[in-house]
Amino acid sequence: MSEKAKLYDATKCTGCRGCQLACKQWNQLPAKQTENRGTYQNPPDLQPNTWLLMRFQEISNGNGGVKWLFRKDACMHCTDAACVKVCPSGALHHTKYGTVALDQSKCIGCKECINACPFDVPRYDPATDKIAKCDMCFSRIDNAMDPACVKACPTGALQFGDKDEMIKLAHQRVKDLGGNAYVYGDKFVGGTHMIYVLPEKPAVYDALPENPRVPLSVIVWKDWLKPFSLLATGGVIAGAFLHYLIHGPKDTSGDKASEGGGE
Amino acid sequence: MIPKKGMIKASDAFERIIHWWLAITCLLLIITGLGMMFHSFNFLGIPVGGLKNLKLIHNFTGILFIPALIFAILIWWKEAGIFKFPEDLEWIKCAGGYLWHVENPPETGKYNPGQKAFFLAVAGFGVLMVISGLIMWFPLSLPRALVSWMYPLHALGLLVIFPFFFIHLYLGTIGVPGSAQAIFTGYVTRSWAEKQCPKWLKEMEESGKLEVFGEEKGASH
Repeated sequence: MSEKAKLYDATKCTGCRGCQLACKQWNQLPAKQTENRGTYQNPPDLQPNTWLLMRFQEISNGNGGVKWLFRKDACMHCTDAACVKVCPSGALHHTKYGTVALDQSKCIGCKECINACPFDVPRYDPATDKIAKCDMCFSRIDNAMDPACVKACPTGALQFGDKDEMIKLAHQRVKDLGGNAYVYGDKFVGGTHMIYVLPEKPAVYDALPENPRVPLSVIVWKDWLKPFSLLATGGVIAGAFLHYLIHGPKDTSGDKASEGGGE
Repeated sequence: MIPKKGMIKASDAFERIIHWWLAITCLLLIITGLGMMFHSFNFLGIPVGGLKNLKLIHNFTGILFIPALIFAILIWWKEAGIFKFPEDLEWIKCAGGYLWHVENPPETGKYNPGQKAFFLAVAGFGVLMVISGLIMWFPLSLPRALVSWMYPLHALGLLVIFPFFFIHLYLGTIGVPGSAQAIFTGYVTRSWAEKQCPKWLKEMEESGKLEVFGEEKGASH
């Protein structure tokens, strides 16, 4: 099974938010009452019931004007996914497509993934005591359908297909665009399964890490301490057994005749 | 295991209760924690109706562990929490005769340096386990940089405490026969005390504080 990826080309995006709505519709996540904060970005951030958020941002174009930036924010579906690494129950897991899905029935609400995710994606829902995030519409892609957001996109800014092909397309597009255009997603955490084509460098965007990686605390915890604790546990159990066999128990009987043998 | 005449009182009822309180909560924490640490041990959640319940048992056992830990530190820090030099260093150099043959291992007090190290590991890392565990329970109300390092700290706590715990279990049972009675009846044989804590035995006898089963207090020898 070849790995799949979603390609988001921000230069083709009109910020219509059709994807945000399609995500809510397919995943049955009714919106809550919102308020006008003077921006199209609504709700303000990802939420337990908003797995996909269109971010809107205004930057100076350098000669007194304004440039409007869009970014589709959702789970990036890392290959080296910190959330999968820390999840104690296996609720967060990789699918055969390389994407990161979530089995909510297994989630124990420990919130460990929240601190691990370099993109700040998982959201905790106190009402259900569970985590929520985009699962790349696993129920759709496993039935040979595009994710709901891709299906809804009217401009072709969203595409879904084989990962290699999406990355190739992204690089071709960036070459055609020239300037500051940038492919985001293929260079870190083993490569994400959401690839961005951005008209500006990543540093310009809100809430977008320039060099995301699995946190050092997670590496120390899961790659060093966890295997080492297994080694120490096995070592000490085997060591005690061998000690009993070779050195023998200590003689505390006070029987003079048997002294010298025990200690 | 009824104490026989002439056996020596090594621990009082309060010490024995705190020991078991600490031991049971600690063991329960290790088992329930293991169920969450390794996917291959997730099955430990099945008997309690799922991993979520295992987490709840772990967290609330942690709450019960706190008073046991506090009492344990208050009871044993004087006898087991302070290394005495140079005699403890001499004992460490020959590993107290536990690993290879030593003609006359240095005499120890109530607790030998190995036991002192165990006490300090449990006391020190026990406190760290409580702090890191409580932060892990409520991670969203604290800064991310702080919370992130509580998980490896909690894992380090297990890595330190488990080997000590298992050696303690081994030496408290089959490794040093006659030890386990100290945590059940509180009485040990005189020969056990002569081997395990000779200095303490002498001090207790000299001060007349030694309690011997079947004898009036302080009346021995």
